[in-house]
Amino acid sequence: MKKIINYLLLFLLAFCFLLPFLIMVLGSLKEIEYALLDPFFWIPDNPSLNNYLYIFRDGVFMRWIFNSVVITVIPVFSQMFLCAILGYIFAKKQFPGRETIFWVFMAVIMIPQQLLIIPKYIMFAQFEWINTYWALIVPELWGIMGVFLVRQFLQGIPNDFEEAAYIDGANDVQIFFKIILPLSLPVVATVGTFSFISNWNDLFQPLIFMTQEKMYPVTVGLASLLGKEGNFGIEMAGSALSFIPTFLIFLFFQRYFTEGIQMSGLK
Amino acid sequence: MTLKKNNQNLYKKNNKLPFKERFRKNAIVYLFLFPILIHFAIFQVFPFLFSFVLTFMDWKIIGNHEWVGLKHWMHFFQDKLAWKALWNTFMFSVYYIIPTMALGLILALIINSGVRFAGFFKGIFFLPVVTSFVIIAGLWGWLFRGTESGLINWIIAFFGIDPQLFLADSSQALLVLAGLSIFKVAGSTMIYYFAGLQSIPKELYEAAKIDGASKSKIFWKITFPLLKPIHFYVAIITTIGSFQIFDSAYLLTGGGPNYATTTIVFYLYQQGFTNLNLSYAAVLSYALFFIILIVSLIQRKYIGKDTAIY
Repeated sequence: MKKIINYLLLFLLAFCFLLPFLIMVLGSLKEIEYALLDPFFWIPDNPSLNNYLYIFRDGVFMRWIFNSVVITVIPVFSQMFLCAILGYIFAKKQFPGRETIFWVFMAVIMIPQQLLIIPKYIMFAQFEWINTYWALIVPELWGIMGVFLVRQFLQGIPNDFEEAAYIDGANDVQIFFKIILPLSLPVVATVGTFSFISNWNDLFQPLIFMTQEKMYPVTVGLASLLGKEGNFGIEMAGSALSFIPTFLIFLFFQRYFTEGIQMSGLK
Repeated sequence: MTLKKNNQNLYKKNNKLPFKERFRKNAIVYLFLFPILIHFAIFQVFPFLFSFVLTFMDWKIIGNHEWVGLKHWMHFFQDKLAWKALWNTFMFSVYYIIPTMALGLILALIINSGVRFAGFFKGIFFLPVVTSFVIIAGLWGWLFRGTESGLINWIIAFFGIDPQLFLADSSQALLVLAGLSIFKVAGSTMIYYFAGLQSIPKELYEAAKIDGASKSKIFWKITFPLLKPIHFYVAIITTIGSFQIFDSAYLLTGGGPNYATTTIVFYLYQQGFTNLNLSYAAVLSYALFFIILIVSLIQRKYIGKDTAIY
């Protein structure tokens, strides 16, 4: 009896969590201009892919997706690489000021994004970075959180491999690539997934740094469609398209994501 | 302590080595740390300090900048809308924090109760966490349409409740936005609680069962108190997150109706980037910063000790 209640609750909750996604997928298959006076207007009578075809033909939407890819892929790979190196430096290297620098990093992480955006807007206007990819790529090339995660991970790994390699005459750049990087792949994957999700889904920064329609990433582009009457099917198809990369990352890297959340929290 | 001493000895030893040898061991530090520190100074430290200077100036996009002393700070203390925005943000936190924690805990308890396909369901509950606010807000807007044909209005009609205006009603809009955030974030709260539940020793439960304790007693006397560090940590991060709420207000209500969903970050955005009053926006951002700083300091003070048992 207890079991049955458990399962009923589980299915009910799972249905509630999936319902919005169901509306998105079904609605995207429905050719509709105006939302009808029916709570279930989003269920398609004869599903068609015309909304998707419309988006593929519509140059500006594909441009938004391309913009999102550019401002996501470059930071993701750069973060994985640089956070791995910096995590290694702060976990294993001895140099003056190490603890102080790390302390400053941990203090700065408390500064909210929204505080930095105003001065950054003024700076980027000076650099002529407004409406360019630079504004969203350069500041995201590495991240304190990623450094913290890798450092945390490497501190739990003994120095034996490293020391053996020094004795064999390797320099530390070689050691990093041959020993440390392969060892820390799981945590580097975590850094990558975090960075992907935060860049791909970011609305606030591109909203401010990208003011021309052709420079919008897909989040800002979709936001500009939102709520306009006559766009329902297109809006859903656009949402579904922009959701596919997130979903794939989630499907294959969910483990790294949840492990990362736990690592960042409970240490 | 001994570790630190060892490190120092190692450092001294390194210092005595010839430069070439030291470089071989530390090349990566010289090659990567310095450029990163410069990057850090340009994109994090400088903006932080510059933003503070900005609060004492009238910064114009075009034209000369003037020093105006405390003008913007004085204005902040008299600005009724700024205080309304702070109040709205506070009310949002009230609506959001406890339900997010409770839902996260319930999800974690169900997942942890030995149901089949637990991993699969965990994935479903986690899905909104990785989905962008834009997608979820768009769907949320359709679900909570303020007409009789809205899906939620259709559902509550079965319980005899009249159709509600939801986002168009100034007393409900903030609640609907809080609901959206609860839906989006509960999955990550679940992950913390799930980890917490798994770290509770099984023997405790077995002992309680032998003593004939009831299920609800076991929960309130063993599970709930032992999750204390998790409660505390989750409370802190959801609090910090709730002060930064912007996306849903921007996407669904535009701060309205009648400023009912103008949160502090939304107000900052409007002042800074719609009215181009960047200096005043900087004052607001510092107000936000001080609130978050206080919450984080509380976290530092208590959490360090409490999580030691894990």
